[in-house]
Amino acid sequence: MKWFRSIVAQERTTARLTGVLAVTILTLAITFVLPPVADSQLAGGAAISIVILGLSWLVGWSGQISLGNSGFMAVGAYATGIWAVHHGSTPLIFTFFLATVIGAISGLIIAIPSTRLSGPYLAGMTLAFSAAISPIAQNYTSVTGGEGGLFFNTLTTPHWFLGLFSGQNATINANAQWTADLAVVVAGVAFFFMANLFHSHTGRAMRLVRDNDVAAELVGINLPRTRTVAFVVSAAFAGLGGSVYVLINATVNPSAFPLTLSITLLTLMVLGGIGTLSGAVIGGIIYAFSTNLISHLNSLTGINPTSNLGANMQGIIFGVLLILTMLFAPHGIAGLGRRLRFFVKSVRRVASVSTGE
Amino acid sequence: MIRVENLTVNYGAIRALDDVSVQANPGRVTAILGANGAGKSTLLRTISGLVAPKSGRVFFGDRSILSTSTENIARLGVAHVPEGRGVIYELTVEENLRLGAFASKVDIREGLEKQYTQFPVLGERRKKYCATLSGGERQMLAMARALISNPRVLLLDEPSLGLAPLVTSELMNLILELCHASDLTVLLVEQNAKSALRIAHDAVVLHLGTVVASGEADVIANDKNLRHYYLGLVQ
Amino acid sequence: MMSTFLASPIMHNIFAGLAQGVIYSLVALSLVIIWQSTHVLNFAQGAMAMFASYIGMTEIDRGLNYWFCLVVSLAVGFLFGGLTERILIRPLYGKPEINAIVVTVGFLGVIEAVAQAIWTSTTRNIATPLSQIYFHDQGRVVLLSPFVLFQFGLALGIMALVAVLFRFTNLGLKLRASALAPEVARLLGVRVNRMLTIGWMLSAGVGVVAAVIVASGSFGLYPSDMDGILIAGFIAAVVGGLDSPVGAVIGGLLIGIAEQFVLAYWSADLASLGGLIILVVALMIRPQGIFAKSVGRRV
Repeated sequence: MKWFRSIVAQERTTARLTGVLAVTILTLAITFVLPPVADSQLAGGAAISIVILGLSWLVGWSGQISLGNSGFMAVGAYATGIWAVHHGSTPLIFTFFLATVIGAISGLIIAIPSTRLSGPYLAGMTLAFSAAISPIAQNYTSVTGGEGGLFFNTLTTPHWFLGLFSGQNATINANAQWTADLAVVVAGVAFFFMANLFHSHTGRAMRLVRDNDVAAELVGINLPRTRTVAFVVSAAFAGLGGSVYVLINATVNPSAFPLTLSITLLTLMVLGGIGTLSGAVIGGIIYAFSTNLISHLNSLTGINPTSNLGANMQGIIFGVLLILTMLFAPHGIAGLGRRLRFFVKSVRRVASVSTGE
Repeated sequence: MIRVENLTVNYGAIRALDDVSVQANPGRVTAILGANGAGKSTLLRTISGLVAPKSGRVFFGDRSILSTSTENIARLGVAHVPEGRGVIYELTVEENLRLGAFASKVDIREGLEKQYTQFPVLGERRKKYCATLSGGERQMLAMARALISNPRVLLLDEPSLGLAPLVTSELMNLILELCHASDLTVLLVEQNAKSALRIAHDAVVLHLGTVVASGEADVIANDKNLRHYYLGLVQ
Repeated sequence: MMSTFLASPIMHNIFAGLAQGVIYSLVALSLVIIWQSTHVLNFAQGAMAMFASYIGMTEIDRGLNYWFCLVVSLAVGFLFGGLTERILIRPLYGKPEINAIVVTVGFLGVIEAVAQAIWTSTTRNIATPLSQIYFHDQGRVVLLSPFVLFQFGLALGIMALVAVLFRFTNLGLKLRASALAPEVARLLGVRVNRMLTIGWMLSAGVGVVAAVIVASGSFGLYPSDMDGILIAGFIAAVVGGLDSPVGAVIGGLLIGIAEQFVLAYWSADLASLGGLIILVVALMIRPQGIFAKSVGRRV
């Protein structure tokens, strides 16, 4: 229990719960007005936001980096897929729990040799890990379905939810929205857990390790263990995110986790804002609607979306955004928002001081 | 040759130098004295362009070198032997020396020969990695590397640090000799005021970033207050 | 007797492993060159090399010969490396090392997407004037061809050239000094910033040779082909010691051969897992690398 207390914040838990609950309910409300296509996209965004949050925690709070979170995602995804194929009738909550735990265990396996490493070594090592995962899945065909992957239909919309819909495409609408709502609720739980973790004893220790590992060691923080915990939590979030991601797609296959996914995750994390809850939300939203944005951009510039350039537009734009953000606004969109608030506040303060004279 | 006027340098919120003016002339050794943290190294680093001052001017002859890059200041003929000597351990003695010659158009072979005659020990160890040298040998190498480019100004940062008294005394004699022989301008930063004042013509005493005294070395050396409060020379 | 030995399964795997290994060695060497000077691990190294060799290939499409293509690719590689350092990497010196990782990963994404946009994601091949047909001995195949021998020669030649440059020339001395002690080098009049740019140019050039070899081989090169090669090169560099060029080269050959044996006796899909296991074991046993000079360095 001592372990549990160390990862749960001691104060202001209710405030954080209210905050996360408010955003979750608001998002659920939005799913009622969105068309089914947008609902499906939102579901994907919610799943990815969980992965981004885990990565953001690792980079922003513990100062480590991973290019392997798409690999941990794949682990969670395959755990979900394999379980779903064999035991489709267990409650969903158990599937999520399983994917999280298996993600965490794979994180632990990678963390043990990695936590002594500094940035570039760690990045290369985790990259090698994520590159090895898909071929492994491809190799053990009898378990993973090989190249074609596994198919399962675990997400069945309950009758009471179906009953809320009527009209022409009632079932399609209900299914799309049920998927989105489920993903949003899982994301909400994950975000609440992370919000607490940020302000827990472990979270504070993590910051100290990131900023000054010598000082951290002097006050009695076990460096390798703290770094390992950070890694395991990050991998657990990736596992959970991967689980949600494949459940909403009802299939898992090796090509779903290419190297570009690692780059995409990194881009979304940096773009949103490293180490913040709002940054992960922003990253998830960008992911959800990036295809719309790109096709809008294509039509604006007159690029044929089926041409080579049109098909690679997302890769180009994401890469360029990642570089530009890192060079010019390393705190991302969340950071810009914070700075803007600060700016407005200080302008107001100056204004009130000058009028007060 | 080197003239520093009203130099002020900040390290963040800390003022390292405050309105410091120093002049060093050819054929003379100018000692910069003071305790740890007085700003002596900062002064040399600012002259070499490693530190950007907040305000003030730095001249090499008549030319302002405030906005000149460190590399180009070195190429003008300012040789700076940094604190800890700056010998690169992973390179051999000869490689270190060759490196010194790039700052000028000196023929490397001739330059090497000249320094090996001046410092025979270095000639014997030319193929050895510098990590294997003794403290005194490293100091010699640092001096030889600075001299190989025939500089007009020599900036020495704590050359006596870690050397035995006898070696220090030899080193000081060598500095004076070089200064006279090739009309060098020498700026000698030292905590070891006694050794420095023995050879210096002029001296500047720094305390917490400000000049507390400057003038002929003899006058400074015989000022009781200065000796007592700033130079740690109490008999 | 000798000939049957050369055609034995073991030698098959060793030759195939070496052919792949020299490619890894070149990539590892190119990573080490910039790691030593700027302490940046360039994740875009493979993609940059791919792009440069693709530009070289377009010259072949215009009917120019193989050697000209090689020279064009190298020139583009030099330019690409230099510009990358100037524009993308220079603003990151002194910043947290994560920033440089993120930027080079982003650059990797951009280059591959642009390459796919221009040339599609299909495999392209450079026709070499050298035969790719394996030698035969008394009816048995020996896994060597004139092209493979040329590949060995080219890689060894480039490595020797790099070694001579760093060890025996004035430029090499300035490059080493700038990497070892940048401030001292500047005090001695060495233009350190220029040396960092030159280091990146050289490194990119070495990487391009690897990409050209891959593109000339019978399997050709596709835009994301260098990703796996970069990872293998990274593993090779870490196993050999990221600050040891000799270690990088030997590491590359070892990884190439090890992968070939995994491929032959286990499964082609598990070659990357084999690489990962070697990396993990190497980092646990000797984190500074087998050939690293400095001992007890924190990695």
